[in-house]
Amino acid sequence: MFLAIKEIKREKLRYGLIILMIFLISYLIFILSSLAVGLASQNTQALESWDIRQVVLNKNANVNMSQSVLNETDLKHANLTKDEALLGQTPVVAKSKNRPQVSAQFIGIKKAQFIYQDQEIIAGRKANNSSEVVVDQAFKVKGYQLGDYLQLNNSKKKYQIVGFAKDAKINIAPIIFGTLATWKTLRQGMPNMQASAIMSRRADYRNNHGNNQTYTIKYFINKLPGYTAQNMTFQLMISFLFGISLIIIAVFLYILTMQKMHNFAVMRAQGIPSATLIKATISQALMLVIIGVILGLLAMTLTAKLLPAAVPMSFTPEIVLSGTIGMMITGLIGSLIPIRSILKVDPVKAIGE
Amino acid sequence: MAVIELNNVQKVYGKGAAKVVALKDINFKADEGDVVLIMGPSGAGKSTFLTIAGSLQKPTSGQVIVGGEDISHLSTKQSNNLRLTRIGFVLQAYNLVPFLKVKEQFQLVDRVKKDNNISLVVLKKLLRRLKISDLVNKYPNELSGGQQQRVAIARALYANPEIILADEPTASLDSENVDEVGQLFKELAKDYHKAVILVTHDPRLKKYADYIYEMMDGKIVNNRQ
Repeated sequence: MFLAIKEIKREKLRYGLIILMIFLISYLIFILSSLAVGLASQNTQALESWDIRQVVLNKNANVNMSQSVLNETDLKHANLTKDEALLGQTPVVAKSKNRPQVSAQFIGIKKAQFIYQDQEIIAGRKANNSSEVVVDQAFKVKGYQLGDYLQLNNSKKKYQIVGFAKDAKINIAPIIFGTLATWKTLRQGMPNMQASAIMSRRADYRNNHGNNQTYTIKYFINKLPGYTAQNMTFQLMISFLFGISLIIIAVFLYILTMQKMHNFAVMRAQGIPSATLIKATISQALMLVIIGVILGLLAMTLTAKLLPAAVPMSFTPEIVLSGTIGMMITGLIGSLIPIRSILKVDPVKAIGE
Repeated sequence: MAVIELNNVQKVYGKGAAKVVALKDINFKADEGDVVLIMGPSGAGKSTFLTIAGSLQKPTSGQVIVGGEDISHLSTKQSNNLRLTRIGFVLQAYNLVPFLKVKEQFQLVDRVKKDNNISLVVLKKLLRRLKISDLVNKYPNELSGGQQQRVAIARALYANPEIILADEPTASLDSENVDEVGQLFKELAKDYHKAVILVTHDPRLKKYADYIYEMMDGKIVNNRQ
């Protein structure tokens, strides 16, 4: 540690540049991770807030809730308890006088079931009838207010906003909560249709009668349109960044070590053990990474504060922890590469040079 | 009893046609308070002598005895420890750690060797004697060649070794500094009771030596007082 700190203090420019690079990489990792988590969360935050374990859809809907329709026959053997809720989903365009149009997902629910009962309202109240809706807070950001009247698609009927709900997004679109009756009107499809899906909070709930198919929530989420592709793209970018930072740290440390070989030989000749030099190299790498990551975290915190709410960014403690640990491991691996050279330092080289 | 003794030491590099005999039947000894010069032209085997006497490498045959203990077969770790505790090296120019201030060169020794280093009082006295007391907060590249050499001497003495091995200690010094360093080695050997072995081809150091060994083609060809 002593040698590592002294050398960084003496060679400020050289080590400053390495820290700058680690800072920029960690900053980029934090931004991409926050965006990945933010976007993933906007796909699933409603499902997560309902604590769903199993989803029953029409087996011909290709695991797509807005394409699924369950009719009376399909629900005959549903055995619905307090842990199940019927849900109707359809994409809509919402508009209101003097307000921008919003592409949203209409979710029809039943008052007696848990999705309605567990709704977290951040302003206003829950909807009491078919003419009232509760909307996601994203509407508030776009200028919508309590009491505004919405028109959905081409329907002439108007629905009054009576509440704003927290974390109410699915497929990156804000949700408009209404009744199943309203959903049936908007969906305009098959006769006798009752819902798009049955949502269950029970892990052991199954309903595979007739056209029904039960899916785990994990499988259902992975099949959300674009969800897996989007996550894999981010994971690939983040993995590449970790790979690049590993190469940068390893290459820089290797070059620095090669430049210091004569110093190491002199120190070895004077009896300084290899272990001291190895510890200095590893602690130096970790110090560079820690300083770079702390700067990255500070920049990211500032960025998260300054970015508009519309940017789907979620800077969570999990991201801080995983990003920091990831970079530390990267730094540790990077510092192991020059160790072989340090172990092979021949103190005889210090003589006669 | 001699502080350091080499008995019939031989060092051979390579095998077969590539075989090079770097040292042949070397017999040598130095006692505390002695300043011993190892002289000879380039390629005479002076550096190989230094590396074997300093336990940086092992002889092919023969014995190297330091303080009565045969060090010819020590492990790497034991050799390391020997160099840290009993042998002080003064190498050619630029042998200080470049990113450590003068005072930190001593602190580095403290970190790896906790006991038996010279006391702060003695160190201050030594630094005054070496005329480097006011340089403790300077980095090596802020010092002249002579100043760097004096810091290197202080650093070698700091661990309180019995033997000081110096490799071409006057290589980058002008005549005035050569005399100063020569006188200094002589005083240090007497006052601090060290065996000082100087490997050099600089004849200006002869007047400070108690013994002079001349080497040629890996052999000691002349040994005089």
